[in-house]
Amino acid sequence: MWQYRELIRTLTVVDLKNRYQNTSLGFFWSLLSPLLLALVLYFIFRHLFGSEENFAINLLVGIMAWRFFSIATSASLGAIVGKPSLVTKVYIPRQILVLSTALANLISSLLEFIVLLPILFVLLGYLPVTVLLFPLIHIIYFWFIFGAGLLLSSLFVYFRDLNQIWEVLISVLFFCSPIIYPLSIIPAHLMFYYLLNPVTLFIGMYRDVMVAGDLPSLYSIAVVIGFAIAAYLVGSFVFSKLQRRFAEEI
Amino acid sequence: MSAIIVDNISKKFRIPHEKKNTVFQNIVGLIKRQFDYEEFWALKDVSFEVNKGEALGIIGRNGSGKSTLLKILARVLYSDSGSVALDGKVASFLELGVGFQPELTAKENVYIYSSILGLRRKQVDRIYDDIFDFAELKKFETMKLKNFSSGMTLRLAFATAIHANPDTFLIDEVFAVGDEAFKKKCRDKMSQFKAEGKTIVFVSHALDTVKALCQRSMLLNEGRIVTMGDTEKVINDYLALLQGK
Repeated sequence: MWQYRELIRTLTVVDLKNRYQNTSLGFFWSLLSPLLLALVLYFIFRHLFGSEENFAINLLVGIMAWRFFSIATSASLGAIVGKPSLVTKVYIPRQILVLSTALANLISSLLEFIVLLPILFVLLGYLPVTVLLFPLIHIIYFWFIFGAGLLLSSLFVYFRDLNQIWEVLISVLFFCSPIIYPLSIIPAHLMFYYLLNPVTLFIGMYRDVMVAGDLPSLYSIAVVIGFAIAAYLVGSFVFSKLQRRFAEEI
Repeated sequence: MSAIIVDNISKKFRIPHEKKNTVFQNIVGLIKRQFDYEEFWALKDVSFEVNKGEALGIIGRNGSGKSTLLKILARVLYSDSGSVALDGKVASFLELGVGFQPELTAKENVYIYSSILGLRRKQVDRIYDDIFDFAELKKFETMKLKNFSSGMTLRLAFATAIHANPDTFLIDEVFAVGDEAFKKKCRDKMSQFKAEGKTIVFVSHALDTVKALCQRSMLLNEGRIVTMGDTEKVINDYLALLQGK
């Protein structure tokens, strides 16, 4: 795949250009939706959870982390199907198509988090030093999302209603993740199952390092790395099996 | 020395009576126990070798499996059984100009197309002028591709593709590019590649081009090799086959 790094770069740039309609303002328009969502959720839920420490800031961080997962996985569904000529007319390692989609989303997500930093600084009054760990968490998260993308994009070639199914799952998952509400409202006997949602752990770690200034425990880092490796291995395995008939099915 | 070794490959296509491509349809199909598709062998027990520096022609009627075979060599399709071994860097021209972006300039598109062919930017910088000289499009390098005629687009694509410097060419009917002068230029280039020891597999209905380029050819019919050998003889067999023997 390394031989094709030029192609990966090109596809990523084309993807980003299309997303932001070739304008630098395009990125700022795309920021409007999460900020408005955060604002609306804040005003609706502040009576319920407003007494929680840093409710508004945690909400913002949670939404940004959630967006990376939801937008990148939804976009990866079409990574193969959306580029038929690169599948049926020429040989390239097809993982490249999924990787470039994931990379484009990584860049958007990084830009969003960079915009978030001054907002955090204003609301908190300071930035915790642990924010330096952000790149590490983001890379693990990216690897997890890339693995999920390999799985979703290859399944979508065969099951074309997967995008609708995924849309439903994503909105269920949104409410199963501690974005609006704090983790403390989950009953103790359900906690184990609740923590099986990988996004929960990632959101928790972002909040640890960006807001609370805590170091994430080695245990939780090991668990998310485990999730990322598992997603990547399963995704790669399924992808390599299914890609053999891509050119026929597309 | 063999550049391509194809050992006993078969390729089966499934032709469903009713295409199921959603989860819903598949669940319904499972419940009703419907697995109704017909199997169609596009290729059956095909074996052959191509020597380094040789040009092999593949001819046959529509639906005889020519393009399927070429696509398997190009690693776009996978065979159900048997094995394929290709030596060195392979360039497949199943279609020219894959990935061209009409909104970008000819220059940018040459870089994009080259990256699809596996070249790095620096490598393209070195062959850049040769590409535009060969395509005779130097004047138009900053023009957007959407303003190109289809002939110009194909010339640009062909010029880029051949300058990627592969060891093996897999070519499917792409010589119908540009006017007679350009076609001749392409044929000359192909002969030059052959002389340089590059391997060519050429699928075509243009029998005189096959005759000019390839000493050895293969006739496919219904997924099997009918004859393989001297091009002259294979073409006669093909003509006999067309007339229903």
